[in-house]
Amino acid sequence: MISATARRALLAQNRQLLRSQFTPIVGGRARWAATSSSGTPPESVYVPGGPVYKGSVNDPTPFPTPSKAHGSHHWAFERLLAAGLVPLTGVAFVTSGSHYPVLDGVLALSLIVHSHIGFDSVVVDYLDTRKKPVIGQVAKWGLRAATTAALVGVYQFNTNDIGLTELIAKVWTA
Amino acid sequence: MLAVRAVGLRPAIRASGISVMALRATSRGVKTESITTTDQRSILDKQRLNRPSSPHMTIYEPQITWYGSIAHRITGVGLSVGMYAFFLSYLAAPVAGIPFDSSAVVELVHGLPEWAKVAGKTVFAFPFAYHSLNGVRHLTWDSTKLLSNAAVTRSGYAVIAGAIISTAALVMM
Repeated sequence: MISATARRALLAQNRQLLRSQFTPIVGGRARWAATSSSGTPPESVYVPGGPVYKGSVNDPTPFPTPSKAHGSHHWAFERLLAAGLVPLTGVAFVTSGSHYPVLDGVLALSLIVHSHIGFDSVVVDYLDTRKKPVIGQVAKWGLRAATTAALVGVYQFNTNDIGLTELIAKVWTA
Repeated sequence: MLAVRAVGLRPAIRASGISVMALRATSRGVKTESITTTDQRSILDKQRLNRPSSPHMTIYEPQITWYGSIAHRITGVGLSVGMYAFFLSYLAAPVAGIPFDSSAVVELVHGLPEWAKVAGKTVFAFPFAYHSLNGVRHLTWDSTKLLSNAAVTRSGYAVIAGAIISTAALVMM
Protein backbone atom coordinates (compact mmCIF):
# COMPACT_ATOMS: atom_id res chain seq x y z
CA MET A 1 0.00 0.00 0.00
CA ILE A 2 1.58 3.31 -1.11
CA SER A 3 1.19 6.58 0.80
CA ALA A 4 -1.30 9.31 -0.16
CA THR A 5 1.39 11.72 -1.41
CA ALA A 6 3.11 9.02 -3.46
CA ARG A 7 -0.30 8.06 -4.98
CA ARG A 8 -0.98 11.68 -5.91
CA ALA A 9 2.45 11.97 -7.52
CA LEU A 10 1.85 8.77 -9.54
CA LEU A 11 -1.55 10.04 -10.82
CA ALA A 12 -0.05 13.40 -11.84
CA GLN A 13 2.72 11.57 -13.71
CA ASN A 14 0.15 9.42 -15.58
CA ARG A 15 -1.89 12.49 -16.51
CA GLN A 16 1.22 14.17 -17.91
CA LEU A 17 2.14 11.09 -19.97
CA LEU A 18 -1.41 10.75 -21.40
CA ARG A 19 -1.55 14.44 -22.33
CA SER A 20 1.73 14.24 -24.21
CA GLN A 21 0.57 11.15 -26.13
CA PHE A 22 -2.86 12.54 -27.10
CA THR A 23 -2.89 14.74 -30.25
CA PRO A 24 -6.33 16.06 -31.25
CA ILE A 25 -7.24 15.52 -34.92
CA VAL A 26 -7.50 18.90 -36.65
CA GLY A 27 -7.97 19.77 -40.28
CA GLY A 28 -6.65 22.26 -42.76
CA ARG A 29 -3.96 24.71 -41.94
CA ALA A 30 -3.64 23.69 -38.26
CA ARG A 31 -3.01 20.09 -39.28
CA TRP A 32 -0.47 21.14 -41.83
CA ALA A 33 1.24 23.37 -39.28
CA ALA A 34 1.28 20.63 -36.63
CA THR A 35 2.52 17.77 -38.78
CA SER A 36 4.40 19.22 -41.72
CA SER A 37 8.02 20.18 -41.68
CA SER A 38 8.16 21.56 -45.26
CA GLY A 39 8.19 25.22 -46.30
CA THR A 40 5.04 26.53 -48.06
CA PRO A 41 1.48 25.53 -47.18
CA PRO A 42 -0.48 23.48 -49.79
CA GLU A 43 -2.62 25.20 -52.42
CA SER A 44 -6.09 24.61 -51.01
CA VAL A 45 -5.88 24.27 -47.24
CA TYR A 46 -9.61 23.94 -46.63
CA VAL A 47 -9.72 20.12 -46.61
CA PRO A 48 -11.89 18.83 -43.75
CA GLY A 49 -10.23 15.97 -41.93
CA GLY A 50 -7.01 16.07 -43.94
CA PRO A 51 -5.73 15.68 -47.50
CA VAL A 52 -7.86 13.79 -50.01
CA TYR A 53 -6.27 10.73 -51.50
CA LYS A 54 -7.94 9.52 -54.65
CA GLY A 55 -8.43 5.87 -55.40
CA SER A 56 -10.11 3.90 -52.62
CA VAL A 57 -13.62 3.14 -51.43
CA ASN A 58 -13.23 5.39 -48.41
CA ASP A 59 -12.66 8.59 -50.38
CA PRO A 60 -14.65 11.58 -49.19
CA THR A 61 -16.47 13.74 -51.72
CA PRO A 62 -13.96 15.97 -53.49
CA PHE A 63 -14.61 19.69 -53.04
CA PRO A 64 -14.23 22.08 -55.97
CA THR A 65 -11.50 24.68 -55.55
CA PRO A 66 -12.97 27.90 -54.16
CA SER A 67 -13.27 30.57 -56.86
CA LYS A 68 -15.17 33.86 -56.80
CA ALA A 69 -15.79 33.61 -60.56
CA HIS A 70 -17.75 30.39 -60.08
CA GLY A 71 -19.09 31.47 -56.71
CA SER A 72 -20.18 34.83 -55.38
CA HIS A 73 -19.55 36.80 -58.58
CA HIS A 74 -21.56 34.31 -60.62
CA TRP A 75 -24.42 34.57 -58.12
CA ALA A 76 -24.38 38.38 -58.15
CA PHE A 77 -24.28 38.51 -61.95
CA GLU A 78 -27.21 36.11 -62.22
CA ARG A 79 -29.38 38.15 -59.82
CA LEU A 80 -28.45 41.51 -61.38
CA LEU A 81 -29.32 40.16 -64.84
CA ALA A 82 -32.66 38.80 -63.62
CA ALA A 83 -33.47 42.09 -61.91
CA GLY A 84 -32.52 43.99 -65.05
CA LEU A 85 -34.84 41.87 -67.15
CA VAL A 86 -37.87 43.19 -65.26
CA PRO A 87 -37.70 46.84 -66.46
CA LEU A 88 -36.35 45.69 -69.84
CA THR A 89 -39.40 43.51 -70.50
CA GLY A 90 -41.72 46.22 -69.23
CA VAL A 91 -40.23 48.75 -71.61
CA ALA A 92 -40.36 46.28 -74.50
CA PHE A 93 -44.09 45.91 -73.88
CA VAL A 94 -44.80 49.61 -74.33
CA THR A 95 -42.38 50.49 -77.13
CA SER A 96 -41.95 49.01 -80.56
CA GLY A 97 -38.88 47.02 -81.51
CA SER A 98 -38.40 48.82 -84.81
CA HIS A 99 -38.11 52.23 -83.13
CA TYR A 100 -35.54 51.10 -80.58
CA PRO A 101 -33.46 48.30 -82.14
CA VAL A 102 -30.64 48.57 -79.59
CA LEU A 103 -33.10 48.03 -76.74
CA ASP A 104 -34.49 45.07 -78.64
CA GLY A 105 -31.01 43.62 -79.05
CA VAL A 106 -30.17 44.13 -75.39
CA LEU A 107 -33.40 42.41 -74.35
CA ALA A 108 -32.79 39.44 -76.64
CA LEU A 109 -29.16 39.14 -75.48
CA SER A 110 -30.17 39.31 -71.81
CA LEU A 111 -32.85 36.68 -72.35
CA ILE A 112 -30.36 34.32 -73.99
CA VAL A 113 -27.79 34.77 -71.20
CA HIS A 114 -30.52 34.36 -68.55
CA SER A 115 -31.68 31.16 -70.26
CA HIS A 116 -28.11 29.88 -70.45
CA ILE A 117 -27.61 30.37 -66.73
CA GLY A 118 -30.90 28.59 -66.05
CA PHE A 119 -30.02 25.67 -68.32
CA ASP A 120 -26.59 25.47 -66.70
CA SER A 121 -28.21 25.13 -63.26
CA VAL A 122 -30.40 22.32 -64.61
CA VAL A 123 -27.41 20.53 -66.14
CA VAL A 124 -25.38 20.85 -62.93
CA ASP A 125 -28.31 19.64 -60.82
CA TYR A 126 -29.27 16.59 -62.85
CA LEU A 127 -26.31 15.75 -65.10
CA ASP A 128 -23.31 16.63 -62.97
CA THR A 129 -19.93 15.42 -64.23
CA ARG A 130 -19.14 13.80 -60.89
CA LYS A 131 -21.98 11.29 -61.08
CA LYS A 132 -22.44 11.12 -64.85
CA PRO A 133 -19.03 11.69 -66.44
CA VAL A 134 -19.88 11.18 -70.11
CA ILE A 135 -23.39 12.60 -70.46
CA GLY A 136 -22.49 15.42 -68.06
CA GLN A 137 -19.72 16.62 -70.33
CA VAL A 138 -21.92 16.16 -73.41
CA ALA A 139 -24.68 18.25 -71.85
CA LYS A 140 -22.29 20.96 -70.62
CA TRP A 141 -20.56 21.49 -73.96
CA GLY A 142 -23.76 20.94 -75.97
CA LEU A 143 -25.40 23.73 -73.98
CA ARG A 144 -22.49 26.08 -74.63
CA ALA A 145 -22.63 25.31 -78.36
CA ALA A 146 -26.41 25.84 -78.42
CA THR A 147 -26.11 29.19 -76.61
CA THR A 148 -23.43 30.37 -79.03
CA ALA A 149 -25.59 29.37 -82.00
CA ALA A 150 -28.63 31.04 -80.42
CA LEU A 151 -26.63 34.26 -79.97
CA VAL A 152 -25.66 34.19 -83.64
CA GLY A 153 -29.31 33.53 -84.49
CA VAL A 154 -30.45 36.47 -82.34
CA TYR A 155 -27.99 38.79 -84.08
CA GLN A 156 -29.05 37.60 -87.53
CA PHE A 157 -32.74 37.83 -86.67
CA ASN A 158 -32.50 41.30 -85.19
CA THR A 159 -30.38 42.57 -88.09
CA ASN A 160 -31.98 40.93 -91.14
CA ASP A 161 -35.48 40.54 -89.83
CA ILE A 162 -37.91 42.44 -87.63
CA GLY A 163 -36.46 41.63 -84.19
CA LEU A 164 -37.77 39.78 -81.15
CA THR A 165 -40.30 42.26 -79.72
CA GLU A 166 -41.78 43.03 -83.16
CA LEU A 167 -42.14 39.33 -83.86
CA ILE A 168 -43.98 38.69 -80.61
CA ALA A 169 -46.21 41.71 -81.17
CA LYS A 170 -47.06 40.60 -84.70
CA VAL A 171 -47.64 36.93 -83.84
CA TRP A 172 -49.75 37.88 -80.84
CA THR A 173 -52.11 39.95 -82.91
CA ALA A 174 -51.97 37.79 -86.06
CA MET B 1 4.32 2.62 -20.15
CA LEU B 2 2.21 4.06 -17.35
CA ALA B 3 3.97 4.11 -13.99
CA VAL B 4 1.79 1.62 -12.09
CA ARG B 5 2.55 -1.65 -10.43
CA ALA B 6 2.13 -4.47 -12.93
CA VAL B 7 0.49 -7.65 -11.67
CA GLY B 8 -0.86 -10.75 -13.40
CA LEU B 9 0.12 -13.11 -16.19
CA ARG B 10 -0.58 -10.91 -19.23
CA PRO B 11 2.22 -8.36 -18.67
CA ALA B 12 4.65 -11.20 -18.20
CA ILE B 13 3.65 -12.82 -21.53
CA ARG B 14 3.80 -9.43 -23.25
CA ALA B 15 7.24 -8.74 -21.83
CA SER B 16 8.50 -12.11 -22.96
CA GLY B 17 7.82 -11.23 -26.62
CA ILE B 18 5.55 -14.22 -27.47
CA SER B 19 2.83 -13.18 -30.00
CA VAL B 20 -0.52 -14.59 -28.94
CA MET B 21 -2.07 -13.60 -32.29
CA ALA B 22 0.61 -15.53 -34.16
CA LEU B 23 -0.22 -18.58 -32.06
CA ARG B 24 -3.93 -18.13 -32.83
CA ALA B 25 -3.32 -17.59 -36.55
CA THR B 26 -1.93 -21.04 -37.08
CA SER B 27 -5.26 -22.63 -36.21
CA ARG B 28 -7.68 -20.23 -38.03
CA GLY B 29 -10.24 -21.71 -40.41
CA VAL B 30 -10.91 -18.50 -42.38
CA LYS B 31 -9.03 -17.66 -45.57
CA THR B 32 -8.65 -14.15 -46.86
CA GLU B 33 -7.43 -12.92 -50.21
CA SER B 34 -6.14 -9.51 -51.11
CA ILE B 35 -7.60 -7.65 -54.09
CA THR B 36 -6.75 -4.31 -55.67
CA THR B 37 -8.66 -1.14 -54.70
CA THR B 38 -10.26 -0.90 -58.15
CA ASP B 39 -11.60 -4.44 -57.78
CA GLN B 40 -12.86 -3.60 -54.29
CA ARG B 41 -14.64 -0.60 -55.75
CA SER B 42 -16.29 -2.55 -58.57
CA ILE B 43 -17.54 -5.23 -56.13
CA LEU B 44 -19.00 -2.48 -53.96
CA ASP B 45 -20.64 -0.76 -56.94
CA LYS B 46 -22.26 -4.04 -58.05
CA GLN B 47 -23.58 -4.56 -54.53
CA ARG B 48 -24.97 -1.05 -54.39
CA LEU B 49 -26.98 -1.65 -57.57
CA ASN B 50 -28.73 -4.57 -55.87
CA ARG B 51 -29.75 -2.58 -52.81
CA PRO B 52 -33.25 -1.05 -52.60
CA SER B 53 -33.63 2.69 -52.11
CA SER B 54 -36.25 4.41 -49.96
CA PRO B 55 -38.98 6.40 -51.71
CA HIS B 56 -38.33 10.14 -51.60
CA MET B 57 -40.01 12.26 -54.25
CA THR B 58 -42.95 9.88 -54.54
CA ILE B 59 -43.94 10.26 -50.88
CA TYR B 60 -43.06 13.91 -50.14
CA GLU B 61 -46.06 15.98 -49.04
CA PRO B 62 -47.17 18.35 -51.84
CA GLN B 63 -46.37 21.87 -50.66
CA ILE B 64 -46.47 25.29 -52.24
CA THR B 65 -42.72 25.61 -51.62
CA TRP B 66 -41.44 22.82 -53.78
CA TYR B 67 -44.37 22.71 -56.23
CA GLY B 68 -43.79 26.40 -56.84
CA SER B 69 -40.05 25.83 -57.19
CA ILE B 70 -40.29 23.02 -59.74
CA ALA B 71 -42.99 24.95 -61.61
CA HIS B 72 -40.54 27.88 -61.81
CA ARG B 73 -37.91 25.58 -63.27
CA ILE B 74 -40.28 23.84 -65.69
CA THR B 75 -41.76 27.11 -67.00
CA GLY B 76 -38.29 28.61 -67.36
CA VAL B 77 -36.92 25.61 -69.22
CA GLY B 78 -40.02 25.44 -71.43
CA LEU B 79 -39.83 29.10 -72.45
CA SER B 80 -36.07 28.93 -73.03
CA VAL B 81 -36.34 25.75 -75.10
CA GLY B 82 -38.94 27.49 -77.24
CA MET B 83 -36.74 30.56 -77.69
CA TYR B 84 -33.61 28.54 -78.49
CA ALA B 85 -35.60 26.38 -80.92
CA PHE B 86 -36.85 29.47 -82.72
CA PHE B 87 -33.43 31.08 -83.13
CA LEU B 88 -31.68 27.84 -84.04
CA SER B 89 -34.38 27.08 -86.62
CA TYR B 90 -33.97 30.58 -88.01
CA LEU B 91 -30.25 29.85 -88.50
CA ALA B 92 -30.75 26.33 -89.85
CA ALA B 93 -33.72 27.02 -92.15
CA PRO B 94 -31.75 28.29 -95.19
CA VAL B 95 -29.50 25.22 -94.92
CA ALA B 96 -32.50 22.90 -94.90
CA GLY B 97 -34.30 24.84 -97.62
CA ILE B 98 -37.41 25.48 -95.48
CA PRO B 99 -38.67 29.09 -95.57
CA PHE B 100 -38.56 30.22 -91.92
CA ASP B 101 -38.58 33.92 -91.20
CA SER B 102 -40.88 36.25 -89.31
CA SER B 103 -43.36 36.71 -92.17
CA ALA B 104 -43.66 32.93 -92.61
CA VAL B 105 -44.36 32.49 -88.92
CA VAL B 106 -46.93 35.33 -88.88
CA GLU B 107 -48.63 33.84 -91.94
CA LEU B 108 -48.75 30.42 -90.32
CA VAL B 109 -50.29 31.76 -87.12
CA HIS B 110 -52.76 33.93 -89.07
CA GLY B 111 -54.09 30.86 -90.84
CA LEU B 112 -54.93 29.00 -87.62
CA PRO B 113 -58.53 28.75 -86.28
CA GLU B 114 -59.50 31.14 -83.47
CA TRP B 115 -59.54 28.50 -80.74
CA ALA B 116 -56.00 27.43 -81.70
CA LYS B 117 -54.80 31.02 -81.46
CA VAL B 118 -56.33 31.44 -77.99
CA ALA B 119 -54.91 28.10 -76.85
CA GLY B 120 -51.48 28.96 -78.26
CA LYS B 121 -51.47 32.36 -76.56
CA THR B 122 -52.45 30.79 -73.23
CA VAL B 123 -49.74 28.15 -73.56
CA PHE B 124 -47.14 30.88 -73.98
CA ALA B 125 -48.62 33.51 -71.66
CA PHE B 126 -49.14 31.44 -68.51
CA PRO B 127 -45.55 30.12 -68.17
CA PHE B 128 -44.23 33.59 -68.97
CA ALA B 129 -46.45 35.26 -66.35
CA TYR B 130 -45.79 32.62 -63.69
CA HIS B 131 -42.02 32.57 -64.24
CA SER B 132 -41.81 36.38 -64.19
CA LEU B 133 -43.86 36.78 -61.00
CA ASN B 134 -42.10 33.91 -59.23
CA GLY B 135 -38.79 35.39 -60.41
CA VAL B 136 -39.67 38.61 -58.59
CA ARG B 137 -40.51 36.48 -55.54
CA HIS B 138 -37.05 34.87 -55.77
CA LEU B 139 -35.42 38.28 -55.97
CA THR B 140 -37.28 39.44 -52.84
CA TRP B 141 -35.88 36.38 -51.03
CA ASP B 142 -32.42 37.34 -52.24
CA SER B 143 -32.92 40.73 -50.57
CA THR B 144 -33.77 38.79 -47.36
CA LYS B 145 -37.45 39.78 -47.40
CA LEU B 146 -40.54 37.52 -46.97
CA LEU B 147 -38.50 34.58 -45.73
CA SER B 148 -40.83 33.26 -43.00
CA ASN B 149 -42.97 30.18 -43.62
CA ALA B 150 -46.21 32.17 -43.58
CA ALA B 151 -44.84 34.81 -45.97
CA VAL B 152 -43.54 32.15 -48.38
CA THR B 153 -46.92 30.40 -48.43
CA ARG B 154 -48.85 33.62 -48.92
CA SER B 155 -46.55 34.95 -51.64
CA GLY B 156 -46.65 31.57 -53.40
CA TYR B 157 -50.44 31.64 -53.70
CA ALA B 158 -50.33 35.33 -54.60
CA VAL B 159 -47.96 34.54 -57.48
CA ILE B 160 -50.29 31.83 -58.79
CA ALA B 161 -53.29 34.18 -58.60
CA GLY B 162 -51.30 36.98 -60.25
CA ALA B 163 -50.19 34.63 -63.01
CA ILE B 164 -53.75 33.58 -63.79
CA ILE B 165 -54.93 37.21 -63.92
CA SER B 166 -51.93 38.24 -66.06
CA THR B 167 -52.51 35.34 -68.44
CA ALA B 168 -56.12 36.42 -68.92
CA ALA B 169 -54.98 39.99 -69.58
CA LEU B 170 -52.24 38.91 -72.00
CA VAL B 171 -54.47 36.53 -73.95
CA MET B 172 -57.06 39.24 -74.43
CA MET B 173 -54.46 41.72 -75.78
